Amino acid sequence: MNLGEEPEKLPLDQVASVSAGVYDRSGKMLEQHQWVIRERPVTLYLNGREMVTLLCTGHHLDELAAGFFYAEGFLRSVEDILSIDIDDEAGAVNLSARGDSSITEGLWQKRTISSGCAKSSLFYFSLDALLSKPVKNDIRITPGRILDRVEDLNRLSETYRRTHGVHNTALADLDRVVLFRDDIGRHNAVDMIVGHVFLHGIPLRDKMLITTGRLTSEMLIKAAKVGIPVVVSRNTATSLAIELAVSLGVTLIGHARAGKFTVYNGQESIDVGLPG
Amino acid sequence: MSVYLDNAATSFPKPQTVLDAAGRVLEGVGASPGRGAHRYAREAMAIVSDCRQKVAAILGVKDPDQVVFTKNATESINLVLKGWLRPGDRVLYSAMEHNSVARPLRKLASQGVNIEVIPCNAAGVLDLGVLAQMLRSEARLVVLVHVSNVNGALMPVAEVSEMCAHARVPLFLDAAQSAGVQSIQAEDLGIGMLACSGHKALLGPPGVGILYLRPDLDVLPLMEGGTGSRSEELEQPEFCPDRYESGTPNLPGLAGLCAGIGYILETGMNHIRNHEIGIANYIENELLQIPGVRVLEPQRRGSGAVSFVVEGMNPADTGSILDQAFDIAVRTGLHCAPLAHQTLGTFPEGTVRVSPGFSTTNENVEYFLNGLRWIVTRRG
Repeated sequence: MNLGEEPEKLPLDQVASVSAGVYDRSGKMLEQHQWVIRERPVTLYLNGREMVTLLCTGHHLDELAAGFFYAEGFLRSVEDILSIDIDDEAGAVNLSARGDSSITEGLWQKRTISSGCAKSSLFYFSLDALLSKPVKNDIRITPGRILDRVEDLNRLSETYRRTHGVHNTALADLDRVVLFRDDIGRHNAVDMIVGHVFLHGIPLRDKMLITTGRLTSEMLIKAAKVGIPVVVSRNTATSLAIELAVSLGVTLIGHARAGKFTVYNGQESIDVGLPG
Repeated sequence: MSVYLDNAATSFPKPQTVLDAAGRVLEGVGASPGRGAHRYAREAMAIVSDCRQKVAAILGVKDPDQVVFTKNATESINLVLKGWLRPGDRVLYSAMEHNSVARPLRKLASQGVNIEVIPCNAAGVLDLGVLAQMLRSEARLVVLVHVSNVNGALMPVAEVSEMCAHARVPLFLDAAQSAGVQSIQAEDLGIGMLACSGHKALLGPPGVGILYLRPDLDVLPLMEGGTGSRSEELEQPEFCPDRYESGTPNLPGLAGLCAGIGYILETGMNHIRNHEIGIANYIENELLQIPGVRVLEPQRRGSGAVSFVVEGMNPADTGSILDQAFDIAVRTGLHCAPLAHQTLGTFPEGTVRVSPGFSTTNENVEYFLNGLRWIVTRRG
């Protein structure tokens, strides 16, 4: 679902109302109805072969599957996809793709091997090392626009406000959030964004990925693989994410809240010459 | 298919005769050569003598006693550098040297030896003009790698040796990559000292190093001990090779080395060299056709080692994928030669090195090239 400026309505298929006892320090209890996020297993199949089971909220499963298999290196272009078949009831998605992926499957989740005889690789998975390339990054953003888009993200998630049980992720240009996804797993939310971008061929040179999750190496690698030049979070970054951001030319911004943010890499992206 | 392309590190597989010879020693001889007069010890001594003669012959040395056995080329190099150089001495060494030279020299520099690098250009070509100038001042030693272990570049040994002879400075040749593929006539070339290993192109098992010392050079030994000779004296023997060979030698290794050299002589060193360098040239030409692959071409090729990088990829990652996806063994990184990589502009990540051997087939090479093409294509 692409968004304008309006918050989404609470998606009732992703939440459940539960009755629970709320206690205070004195032992006083109040019976309450609360909204909690639904969690369900979804198994992803590639050409009928079971690949992985994700624990997720269970929405946008076509994007989730496309984003997952693209980020993991099984898809090269959208033309590779023959079909995406969703069995919502069974929690299963089968993505049929053309081509022989046996070599990629052989490399999947294999750890890179360092000999200790040179400066070692930053990557720990061979497929990430193979598929991650420096991002074209010539974006310039004012501090005000960065903070505005982070506020947009916070404002857009009715599910988060009602459940506090999801991570929010958005793709934004300078003026607005163009795509919003949330999920119990921050990786799932990013995979949905990646999947949507991949399926619809959205240009990314003027886009930011904004997440409520920590900025880890996995987040950074996913963004770089699809070519997003700026990654922003309300949260902090890890040391490896920062090293990868430097290596891949991604502008990495953390602690974006309360009118401030920290630029871990790519200060040249911050346009301080224009009013925010 | 499993393909081994790391023969510059150690040759593999070895000829069957090498395995047989080493196995026969362990099964049927087992004694310590020169220690005792019994049949087994005599047989062991004959194996050592036979190996020494074969090594002398393949290195162009008339007197086999000037050939010393150590445990590897690094020990041979340490023996020369630490037994020849003294505080205040000046030593010149090329910018393409291996750490087996660079590290002991760094240690010696901390003890007052003056170490100076002979520059090479970005293709690894030694600057003979600068060397001529450097040799105008007194020097105690010149150290030169015969063939680069990084990209197979052949260094101008004859020219350097002539310049050293003119300046009356001994030349110490590191022939670790060349012995067994390049014809070396150490005495005719006027080389002062030569070090190499037995387990690379000489096709022996690991654990044997070789050192040739010209008789007029008084190099001190690295260590003293039992030699099986002049045991009544507490002083270390002064004659070669006993002066440098304390302790029980690696008899299975020497027997295997002897068989390895036998295989080379039987097959023909020229044949092996043409095979390995022919494959290297073919690989190099094919790599040059792959967009995004940069090859470190030597001006003159002296071995089968080919170095390259896939632009934008850490060489270790390229090697990992060749290993994991295709079962192809290559060597990545700095190849223990950071000086050479600084010279060639590939420091600190290094390169991917492929080094075919005598048994590498065309099918092996095509399999490797197709694996690399998959990597480059998949990377996009």
